[in-house]
Amino acid sequence: MATAREVREIVPPPVLTQHLLLSVVEQMKLPLMSIARRAELGAMPGGQVDLGEIRVTADAAVQLLDNYILGVQLANQEVNLMQTEPVAISSVLHSAGQRLQPIAKAYGVRLDMHIDGKYGPVMAHRRGLEAALVSLGYALVEALPAQDAPQLKLQLSAHRCRYGIVAGIYCDTEQITTEALRIGRQLYGRARQPVSGVSHTSGAGIFVADAILHAMQSQLTTSRYHRLYGLGAILPLNPQLQLV
Amino acid sequence: MTHILLIEPDLLLARSYYDALKTAGHVVTAVPSAQAAVLAADESKPDIVIMEVQLVGHSGIEFLYEFRSYADWQQVPLIIHTVVPPNEFAGARDLLMREMGVTLYLYKPQTSLKKLLRSVAELVPLDIR
Repeated sequence: MATAREVREIVPPPVLTQHLLLSVVEQMKLPLMSIARRAELGAMPGGQVDLGEIRVTADAAVQLLDNYILGVQLANQEVNLMQTEPVAISSVLHSAGQRLQPIAKAYGVRLDMHIDGKYGPVMAHRRGLEAALVSLGYALVEALPAQDAPQLKLQLSAHRCRYGIVAGIYCDTEQITTEALRIGRQLYGRARQPVSGVSHTSGAGIFVADAILHAMQSQLTTSRYHRLYGLGAILPLNPQLQLV
Repeated sequence: MTHILLIEPDLLLARSYYDALKTAGHVVTAVPSAQAAVLAADESKPDIVIMEVQLVGHSGIEFLYEFRSYADWQQVPLIIHTVVPPNEFAGARDLLMREMGVTLYLYKPQTSLKKLLRSVAELVPLDIR
């Protein structure tokens, strides 16, 4: 009989489970349907096709797939975890914001950036952190217009917390709670809508981000900030880097 | 002119359906959620409803219960147009079709705009068209 330690070693980390793959596959149906229907509309008499929207939809879907792959590589240690580097949080948020901007615009969502205070660099896997933020952003951009009377605004921001710094994405959806995330983690890949109070989809972006951060020894967390509700990554402060 | 209430949570998909239905000459009210749909139904008096069941917050099934509880809306044709494959509703098919008055179940990934438009044309009474 395997010991508890051996069982832990046999059980694959969350990013490799079929549940996450199912969640991503289910998520992919939406952009593909969107592209198919747009193309069909363009071929109808009097119909117009928005090629820009088709391109943005496809690009966002490809980014999610790339982020999933990165999560798997990180979990398999194919991408060297030792490649952590001093990372300026504002720079990562800015890059994530730029990557999210086209899909946010397509969904009519305004993206703002707010960095509360000055932070020194933190040690992180830059590519992983950016991929996690983009995945979260994609999930929220898509989910916001489906809410009742939403404010179509997302804020990329960073602030101090008890454990370090939270870098995350915030909106006025008060259904983003620790409990909702906990239940979502239990249900993803099993239920069609694991975070039904937040998203009408499989919420793959949230769970891909969760998996990437897990593989980076970081953590996805829910967070409240300036009367906004968000999801973000906890980044521990490095006292030595703070002196830089 | 047919008044259509379209309940579609994904904004990009909603735009495509809205444009296609409008180009076909229908008047369309598009909403993303069950709560907004109840208000919209009250205002727009739809001749037909096309709805996704997988919505944020209140589900499409909750909307169905509410919608069919009003005498005025009990005979309105209703198409479920959803990402949920029909086999996942197999056990509840009778409930959906008989008790909730679902007229047609369309699996969204396999339903072209043409098929959707054809279904609307077939279900709306001639005197309304």
